[in-house]
Amino acid sequence: MAGGKVVKDLMVDVFDFPHIPYWFSIRQAMGIIRKSVIESTKCVRPIVILVFDEKYNLVGTLTRINILKGLEPKFLKPVTKAEVHEESEVDLSVIWDNLFSTESKKLAEKPVSEVMVPAKLFVEQDDPITKAAYLMLHNDLVLLPVLENKKKLVGVVRMIEVFDELSNAILSEQ
Amino acid sequence: MTLIDRDNPQKLYLQLYEILRGKIESGDWAVDTQIPTEEDLCKTYEVSKATVRIAVSELARQGYLRRQQGKGTFVCKRVIPEGLSMFTSFKELMLEAGVSFSTKVLAQTVIMPVDDLDIKLDITEDKHIIYIKRLRLIDNEPILLQETYMPHHICPLPLEEDLENNSLLEILEKKCGVKITSVQDYIGITYLNEEEGRLLGLPVGSAALLLEQLFYSGKNKIKYTRSIKRPDRFKLFIELERK
Repeated sequence: MAGGKVVKDLMVDVFDFPHIPYWFSIRQAMGIIRKSVIESTKCVRPIVILVFDEKYNLVGTLTRINILKGLEPKFLKPVTKAEVHEESEVDLSVIWDNLFSTESKKLAEKPVSEVMVPAKLFVEQDDPITKAAYLMLHNDLVLLPVLENKKKLVGVVRMIEVFDELSNAILSEQ
Repeated sequence: MTLIDRDNPQKLYLQLYEILRGKIESGDWAVDTQIPTEEDLCKTYEVSKATVRIAVSELARQGYLRRQQGKGTFVCKRVIPEGLSMFTSFKELMLEAGVSFSTKVLAQTVIMPVDDLDIKLDITEDKHIIYIKRLRLIDNEPILLQETYMPHHICPLPLEEDLENNSLLEILEKKCGVKITSVQDYIGITYLNEEEGRLLGLPVGSAALLLEQLFYSGKNKIKYTRSIKRPDRFKLFIELERK
């Protein structure tokens, strides 16, 4: 299946994705996503920012969903059923709308380290792509960092290529 | 004791300057001690007052001595003089000054252009930038906080090099083959924020020297450096020559 391909066969360059350090604010990350991805001629999918530490170690990833969750006021975040206020969705949207001018602007100054998805799972260049697929499926990830000798970040493998490769294998077997 | 050699073709004030500088650098004249009066120096070295004045003035200009009105002249903590249009690396500058120095690399990572970095480096907003933050120390005392930004596509090597022991300028010129042809310096004053104050050992809000430098290779902007210097340990000078 998948022709025995390994991660390095599908890997893309880390420099296709924007990089930021963990101390950048959510506001700065929003600006970067807009300017260097969405409005750029080089709009690479998925839209993800890679987050690094002072020594250029990957510490996490940041998507638009992570950013928006970070801007959501605390009391609007999911609560248990017993705690749910009896308010319609329209009311909630109005509440958030009002808060965007105040509360969310304050929250946008938080560092991205508070809202990113920590990088805990990695693959090696010579790992089979099925391993990458397994890790992404079971951890709800759209990409995985690829390491060389368990240390140096050399690229990322994305669900797009993994899906493409596996679907080719399935479809060609018919 | 070293004395003035009148058979030496070197000018007397220069000989005296070197003798006195030797006393400071060897610790013979310790920091904060008062040096002998002009009259005493004249007698000791058998030179005129004018010779003593020029030698002492030069030592004061270079930061070895400070004059206190009505009190005398004192040995001070070494202040590093720095020419404005400098190509000299911190390492070269310190070696020239003959002081014990070290560098701590606080960050060596990659960022995207924020604020006006794209304009400063003349790059598009989707280009990656190598970000280096270093604290420079003399005798284990922090004196300079330096942040450097370089377009990654020009040369990625500085991301991997040992910058505690190697000069970034040397890496750029020798390993990346990027010849620095000109530097623009912008000098100002900054007020330290909490982190800068903590790193430089000064209270928050203290005034410090700010030197912003744009390095060019031909017409290309190669790096932008923002240096915050302790005002008591640095001074900048301009030397002008009539043509």
